[in-house]
Amino acid sequence: MSGTVRTTRLPIAERVLEVNDQLAEGVRADLARRGIFAIDLIGAPGSGKTALLEATLQRLQGRRRPAVLVGDLATRRDGDRLARWCDRVVQISTGEGCHLEAGQVRDALGQLDLDGVDLLFIENVGNLICPVGFDLGQSAKVGLFSLTEGDDKAAKHPYLVTAADVILLNKIDLAPYLTFDRAGFEADVRQLNPTVPILGISATTGEGFDAWLGWLERSSA
Amino acid sequence: MPDVHEFSIADALATQVLRHVPAHGRVHEVEIRVGALRGLEPAAMEMCWDAVTHDTPLAGSVLVMDIRPWSLTCPTCGRVWESPVPFADCTCGEVAPRPTATDELDLVSMTVEDEDGDEDEGPVAAATPDGGAEAGERAS
Ligand SMILES: Nc1nc2c(ncn2[C@@H]2O[C@H](COP(=O)(O)OP(=O)(O)OP(=O)(O)O)[C@@H](O)[C@H]2O)c(=O)[nH]1
Ligand SMILES: [Mg+2]
Ligand SMILES: [Zn+2]
Ligand SMILES: [Zn+2]
Repeated sequence: MSGTVRTTRLPIAERVLEVNDQLAEGVRADLARRGIFAIDLIGAPGSGKTALLEATLQRLQGRRRPAVLVGDLATRRDGDRLARWCDRVVQISTGEGCHLEAGQVRDALGQLDLDGVDLLFIENVGNLICPVGFDLGQSAKVGLFSLTEGDDKAAKHPYLVTAADVILLNKIDLAPYLTFDRAGFEADVRQLNPTVPILGISATTGEGFDAWLGWLERSSA
Repeated sequence: MPDVHEFSIADALATQVLRHVPAHGRVHEVEIRVGALRGLEPAAMEMCWDAVTHDTPLAGSVLVMDIRPWSLTCPTCGRVWESPVPFADCTCGEVAPRPTATDELDLVSMTVEDEDGDEDEGPVAAATPDGGAEAGERAS
């Protein structure tokens, strides 16, 4: 046939990430039933996600029963680092994927004995954009920034800032060596998310961990 | 390699649209609505769409993106306006208007070529034009 092609517009109205969202709701219900508080830790590559978890797990020893899922592009290094502090660690190899999805979390949880576990940390793939939009069934999102990334990163990643339940600013021990406008960084965060707690920490020295662990205890109580 | 962020979304979208394509349907246009929070780059998204639909029945289809902007509210003069970026000064001089945006990511519609004439192709049962067509039931 030649001439004009007639077309019909079919309304659909569906969420694009519907499948992930449904899997995430399943994970959320399962974790709630078990009484597990789950944290989705999101931050740039090298911001100190694994270091934060190492330092946190170390301080929680004997007080909480944590489990850890860690998304890593290609290696087992983060998982090995965390296994020193926690006997329930599952490494999720994401290959080229730039974020974790709820199905991967569900499958990884299936590999763990969750009896007695009360806290779950999920180290997402190092990326400030992509992971934010994929619900994993978490109870809270932690947005991790660090001094070495530069003070403009909150402003450049508004989705993470608005979605986070707490913003951590890591590597404050390096402040004397860097020009990082902390007031400006916090003002950007405040403009996007007026109520989110902003906590300065150092995973290396432990500075600021009283406030961070306090937030954790209160949130997961 | 285009930005992986857009790639994974384009990939999920293509899978979803393919579930809705009527038998023998040729898709002209796919329309999505995206909240500004998603930070989707239209140019990168178009590239990824072409890449993931290549060699599928969606090849050559146009992805129409309705990107919902930021809404800025001025704490000084109360003005509310739309902006493509979250940080912008108000006309009154206020430098810190409050930005808000949504994170919706919805498949809104698709536009398919009508199949009329070629009876030998069998009953195509393209969607009824009254919009009541539930393309989903043709997915299997
Ligand atoms: N000085 C200082 N260095 C830190 C701190 N936290 C992490 N680092 C260092 O930063 C580097 C990256 O830390 P990681 O914990 O591997 O960062 P990550 O976010 O897990 O990185 P990826 O998983 O690869 O995305 C390491 O060399 C850490 O020792 C800190 O508070 N202070
Ligand atoms: Mg790591
Ligand atoms: Zn991704
Ligand atoms: Zn104003």
